[in-house]
Amino acid sequence: MDLRVPSGWFFALTGLILIGWGLFAPDATAPLTTVNVNFYSGIAMLVFGIFLLLLAWRAVRSHS
Amino acid sequence: MKLAPVDYVILVLYFAFVLGIGWRLRKRISSSGDFLMSGRSVPVWITSLAFIAANLGAVELIGMAASGAKYGIMTAHFYWLGAIPAMLFMGIFMMPFYYGSKARSVPEYLKLRFDEKTRAFNAFSFAIMTIFSSGISMYALGLLLHLVLGWSFNVSVLASAAIVLAYTFLGGLTSAIYNEVLQFFLIVLGFAPLAILSVSKAGGWRGIVARLPPNMTHAWRYMGSPTENPMGVELFGMIAGLGFVLSFGYWCTNFLVVQRAMAAESMSAARRTPLVGTLPKMFLPFIVIMPGIAAIALTKMNVGYALPPNAAGGPDYTQALTTLMAQFYPSGILGLGMTGLMASFMSGMAGNVTAFNTVFTYDIYQSYIRPNADDHHYLTVGRVTTVVGVLLSILAAYVATRYNNIMDLLQLVFGCVNAPLFATFLLGMFWRRTTAHGAFAGLTLGTGAAVMTLCTTVAEGKGGWIANWHQFPSQMAQNFWIAIIAFAVCFVISVAVSLFTTPRPDKEMEGLVYGLTKIPHDATAKWYERPAPLTAIVIVLLVILNIWFR
Repeated sequence: MDLRVPSGWFFALTGLILIGWGLFAPDATAPLTTVNVNFYSGIAMLVFGIFLLLLAWRAVRSHS
Repeated sequence: MKLAPVDYVILVLYFAFVLGIGWRLRKRISSSGDFLMSGRSVPVWITSLAFIAANLGAVELIGMAASGAKYGIMTAHFYWLGAIPAMLFMGIFMMPFYYGSKARSVPEYLKLRFDEKTRAFNAFSFAIMTIFSSGISMYALGLLLHLVLGWSFNVSVLASAAIVLAYTFLGGLTSAIYNEVLQFFLIVLGFAPLAILSVSKAGGWRGIVARLPPNMTHAWRYMGSPTENPMGVELFGMIAGLGFVLSFGYWCTNFLVVQRAMAAESMSAARRTPLVGTLPKMFLPFIVIMPGIAAIALTKMNVGYALPPNAAGGPDYTQALTTLMAQFYPSGILGLGMTGLMASFMSGMAGNVTAFNTVFTYDIYQSYIRPNADDHHYLTVGRVTTVVGVLLSILAAYVATRYNNIMDLLQLVFGCVNAPLFATFLLGMFWRRTTAHGAFAGLTLGTGAAVMTLCTTVAEGKGGWIANWHQFPSQMAQNFWIAIIAFAVCFVISVAVSLFTTPRPDKEMEGLVYGLTKIPHDATAKWYERPAPLTAIVIVLLVILNIWFR
């Protein structure tokens, strides 16, 4: 098992959940900040997840 | 703090992945070596991240934010002065002997290099220590979830123990290592936003410098005298105690971390494990310590943030991390952050349990209870020990409810057991004249010296149970000096006794000692796969960081 696959899926999915939640509930902010933390963190996680999946995909392709 | 449904979705998703990884890895296990040593087949990027993640338990996470709030940027010395140099030393100089000796554990190396009694001493003390650490992780998790989320202590402890047991039982060390890496990513991605938000709210590093006393924003400038810096430690105690004895003792001899490097797929990968690990490790202070420092700046800004008081009336630094989360994280990312905390508690437990079952199976069971059984028998013993280890940890967690300060207890154990150990390894690996009797005498008397120092000196009202010969300005200083004394006693006694006892023939020590071991030279490897260029890069970055925050 290539660990990049489950890690990639986990972060991509979590990223999507956070982006969705950031868009769906943009007023979900915390006392000390007005930033839409969910939305931006979600994007970072989605990008990281896709990056891991791409690495794993490239490794499979170069093997076969 | 209250979690919303979206937080629970993320929490459940994460643990579904954790258990799924364990389930998928179960097919890989066909021998005790697969279960307890990952069959020595884990890629280097995974072992490197696991190497540092095994140490990034939630006790450390919360403790580092608390230290940041209490001591300021000096806390980064645990990384920049302590861990990094020790990890470099481990990768360059010590790993060839660990990996090359074919030892399956750190105690087993001691058996190969010295003799049975030194191994027994190390194996038993390590086994007890891991169970305690694991229990403390569990206890801290239960307490935190109860305090922050209002969950039941018992349910939290038992549920987390069940998850840890499930994935370590299924996939053994590989499962523990893989989940440590997943947890490491989660910690970085889940807490980096907190660091960014809290530091920028406090006006960036400049804003923090303007709001805090200067000795909290300089790592080196106030080190001359213990009365000037918040840690109460002087330069020598810091460099020799933390920078040398404690850090080298932990990173180079603690089987919990060494085991991760030993699981690597080749000698070259094993040596690179700690070296590659230093690169992310170096930047962790920005995620784990900075929020604590920013928290103190925020308390001086009248934005409505304050640290809750502790029992003694002072600020409760241990709540710095969780109170910041409550102030900066809306539901969603809050669930992710809490999941990260829970995950790091659990991987702390899993790390200890997987180290415990290896040491118990190979160094205690196979050595003293039933040698010469077939491998399948030891695989079963390894699995049973995993269950027993988790049960003992739960017991230890309930024992820990009777002690107040968790980190103190941990550090006392580190000080007394780990400090002399590094002298034994240093002599054993680099001075072939060191004899088994010398090592054992040094190790036991060194540990004894550590205990005696603790019993005859006082710091912040603790210690000095036999006499009060010396008063340390802080517990930190006391810990560092206990380590220095234990190391010195162990070193001197080992050398002295070795000179009066018969040396071992060189032939028996091939692969175990410097000068009698062929150290592989990777001339054909790419530059970034060789230890020397990697180390050079790390040292340059390290010097820059230290100058920046001097």
